[in-house]
Amino acid sequence: MERRTWIPRIEAFIAFGSIARGEWTSGSDLDWTLLIDGYADPGHLAISQAIQNALKTANFEGPGPTGTFGSMTFSHEIIHNIGGENDSNRNTTRRVLLLLESIPIAADRLAYDRVTLGVLNRYLEEDTSFLTPDGQQRCVPRFLLNDIVRFWRTMAVDYASKQRERAHEGWALRNVKLRMSRKLIFCSGMLMCFSCHKEPTDESAVPLSSDILISLVAQLRDYVKLKPLEILAKGLLDYGEDDETSRNMLNAYDRFLALIDDPDKRQTLKKLKSVDAQSNDVFDEARGISHAFQGALSKFFFQNHKLSSLTQKYGVF
Amino acid sequence: MRKIGFSTGALAKGDFALALKFLRGTSVGVIELSALRQNELWPLLDSLELLELAPFSYVSVHAPSRIEEGTEKKVVDALGTFAKRGWPVITHPDAIRDFDLWRSLGRLLCIENMDNRKPIGRTAIELRGIFEKLPEASFCLDLGHARQVDPTMTEALVMLREFKSRLIQLHVSEVNTASRHELLTLAAVYAFRKVASLIPESIPIILETPAARNQIEREIATAARALKEAPAHPMTVMH
Repeated sequence: MERRTWIPRIEAFIAFGSIARGEWTSGSDLDWTLLIDGYADPGHLAISQAIQNALKTANFEGPGPTGTFGSMTFSHEIIHNIGGENDSNRNTTRRVLLLLESIPIAADRLAYDRVTLGVLNRYLEEDTSFLTPDGQQRCVPRFLLNDIVRFWRTMAVDYASKQRERAHEGWALRNVKLRMSRKLIFCSGMLMCFSCHKEPTDESAVPLSSDILISLVAQLRDYVKLKPLEILAKGLLDYGEDDETSRNMLNAYDRFLALIDDPDKRQTLKKLKSVDAQSNDVFDEARGISHAFQGALSKFFFQNHKLSSLTQKYGVF
Repeated sequence: MRKIGFSTGALAKGDFALALKFLRGTSVGVIELSALRQNELWPLLDSLELLELAPFSYVSVHAPSRIEEGTEKKVVDALGTFAKRGWPVITHPDAIRDFDLWRSLGRLLCIENMDNRKPIGRTAIELRGIFEKLPEASFCLDLGHARQVDPTMTEALVMLREFKSRLIQLHVSEVNTASRHELLTLAAVYAFRKVASLIPESIPIILETPAARNQIEREIATAARALKEAPAHPMTVMH
């Protein structure tokens, strides 16, 4: 796509979903937004529509019907409306996915980086609980973590809501995604937040200074640049998880990707209704994979001696 | 105490002699002679011996931000005259076409980070590529540009960390949405204080704010406030 002629520097064309996770498969759709971080311009709509048409012409499967993607997103809402009445489901989704599952599709990522940093800065600057006065201990940024947890629960609730609204259409595929790729981004978000935690004995614990907050923003920004699977793999290494659990987890995810990349199986899941799921081989295979994935995740988050205390302290209550 | 001075361009555009006149009798001890437009470079060179620069413990020169095609060697040679005096030559990276020519200035070639409008040199990653081509070059952090690119100042922090050993000068101003320099605002003061602790006190600070003569001392005081280390994170822990 000819970015230079379309998108000025206050805007960014951003993709979400499987392409951002580095998991694009044959049947994947393309969730995208035109992120605007600057003055309001009536012409933004035309740019957004031009992108929409170009993607359609190029045979990309468009975003779902919720309207969350496939149009414009304004940075002010993303940055300023965290929580409260104005933080709609759509706004939360766009914001949290910006951090966990997004990628700028263009050479110039300036607007994308600026908004990402703005969001991270808000979560940390307004968090009252994660820095000790002596700077020797840093806790987990709860404001950010709570939003990620909230988003995960929202996805789970919306899954049930979509089942009702869409008369079970696409139910099985959504179910499998919830068990796998949605759960993956939740886990990567938790690991991103846990990375801020430092014990007093850690050599890397730095004394409290005025720049510690932006140091942490920079650290979290480095996580945003990673794909969810990379964050998970990094977590497995950083927390010294055993080879068997790591292998089980990543193999399960690999099998999931292979399954949804199979056009026949994907189509089966897309059409399958919940009432028929129990007797369907493809769904059974997918469920087996998700159980293996969940088993390895449970072992990692609840039995790993370094991670389990963080999971219990911050991830549950 | 920080050494804070002005760019002559901010005070009197191309009239550097007038700017020096404004600064006479003030507390300003550091200065940047501006030749931001190429046609300002030759008069500056010609009057070099006549300028009253004794009150200044630090002098730098701002190279033209745009160089006419076919004149790059002539411009770099002229800038070499300033470098021979030990004066850093503050340069916009997008003004450079032939990196070989500019390498001759060594550490006195001082690369400045750019604002939103420019295609290069705006972030640490973009500057990294430029310093790879100019390994000896030093660095002028423009805090106003850095804040325009990223209001959280995280990019500024990354640049300060990555190019710490190259840092020799600071530019300070408010940069508006049209990328024009303005007088410092309270928002800029708060933003700059976030990274103040990472800036050594010995680094000269050049204000690019268009201060009128009667605003010079006040603007210096504001800059001093902006570069005073902010108090540590005010939040207290509640586990």
